[in-house]
Amino acid sequence: MKIHPAPPASYTTAEHPVEIVREYFARAIDALADWKDALAVEIAPLRRSASLTTSRLDELVEPSALRLFDTVDLPVYGSGFIAALDSLADASSHLAWWQGPERAQLVLAAQSVNKEHIDYSELEWYRVPFATGEPHVAGPYVDYLCSDEYTITVAAPVHIDGEFVGAVALDLLIDRVERDLTPRLAVFGNDISIVNGVGRVLLSTSPARATGDTIRGDDLAGFERFACPGMALDVLIARA
Amino acid sequence: MSTRRAAPRSGRPTRLHSAVFQPIGDEGRAALVQRRVAEAIMSGVLAAGERLPAETELAAAFGVAPATAREALLALRERGLIVTRRGRSGGSFIADSADPVRFATRTLLDGSRVSLRDAAQHYLALTSACVELAAQRADVSEIAMIRTRLERISDHDLAAWRMAADDAVIELAALSQSARLTREQMKLQGEFSPLLALVDTDPASRVESRAHLLEVLRAVGSGDADGAARALRDNTRFAVDWLIAYREQHIGIISLATTSPERIRP
Repeated sequence: MKIHPAPPASYTTAEHPVEIVREYFARAIDALADWKDALAVEIAPLRRSASLTTSRLDELVEPSALRLFDTVDLPVYGSGFIAALDSLADASSHLAWWQGPERAQLVLAAQSVNKEHIDYSELEWYRVPFATGEPHVAGPYVDYLCSDEYTITVAAPVHIDGEFVGAVALDLLIDRVERDLTPRLAVFGNDISIVNGVGRVLLSTSPARATGDTIRGDDLAGFERFACPGMALDVLIARA
Repeated sequence: MSTRRAAPRSGRPTRLHSAVFQPIGDEGRAALVQRRVAEAIMSGVLAAGERLPAETELAAAFGVAPATAREALLALRERGLIVTRRGRSGGSFIADSADPVRFATRTLLDGSRVSLRDAAQHYLALTSACVELAAQRADVSEIAMIRTRLERISDHDLAAWRMAADDAVIELAALSQSARLTREQMKLQGEFSPLLALVDTDPASRVESRAHLLEVLRAVGSGDADGAARALRDNTRFAVDWLIAYREQHIGIISLATTSPERIRP
């Protein structure tokens, strides 16, 4: 992962676009931080007795996953726990996940029929928290596994006695994030973009910059770049 | 059907306008469950011999009543797609005869050259749109990951290779950053994959398919949208030529197919 430079001292935090972006996604990260600790306490005894099955996990996760929809001040589209691979007694992988307007439990075709088939080890929302031990804002990406929508997933690793047992996560649809953040950033200028670690545009106050496009290489010269502390997002502000 | 149609205020019903008022297929929930499982079998997601979840589990998974799941299972059994065994190790299993290759052969022989070419054109148009966008938007690291996964799978095992190839195409489509195109690609991949699997029963074709797919990945990774589209076009043409040659070769047994489809062997 790249190292983010500290934000320059030249701006007062409350009135800079970086602070708006950081504060928005920190709501998710903070909520997940509380949740992961509580969940670890509940999961630990079941793991010790080797009786952590998919159905026990679902029962355990469901109430707190559903609560998250109402307690976080964000347009949460999905929420749940993704088990570490090969950590359950009866399946090699499992997503205890609730999503959509109905907050219905996700049942993957492959999950309902053959529980062995899903390998999410290389997907960003699992791979990065697993590798770094830190929460991560993943995306934007087309989530063909869960929401089938253009999505941001915020995920935080869950550890028990130092061992990675899975990740708690929540999904935000870009569609909603755009409507939440664009007007707030537009106050500061008409060419301000949020980009992720690979330079992909999450949203921009410039109508000419499409979400999903990338700004990188030589194109970056026209921008001042500010890292959002604690997440792999940058805010690019076009130079006057 | 009545010739009177609701007309827009302009008084001139457009083609799209009349399409709105086409009858909606009155498919029951059991039929939907049946179709979902049948498609999974025909596209090879569910393999021969695999055990289906119990009736109640299936009902819960699909969010339907147990009676609905039972009805769907009954229909699948009648179509010969699943078999039910009694006893302690009993349950419903995907029938040995319900394999995607045999299904594709039947589709190919029962259909026409024009329908095959049309299906291929549709597949090509959508996939090209996806990879061209992906070529503009994907990061090299994202392509490298797809490539690594693909390279882990040998093409000796047909089923494993097809699954990996389908996954790679879906992942490529997702790199277009378009949710709509990705959803369409997933739907179409399920329909077209059995035909690609038929082509890939020939080990020499598998080598060719893999080379084409790797070329698409290379082109997308280096931002070469035209090169990616070209590689995709070459691959589709190769598959269609192969399928038509195969069809011509096997068309002799089409008369048998109508009386006893089970006798067709790929």
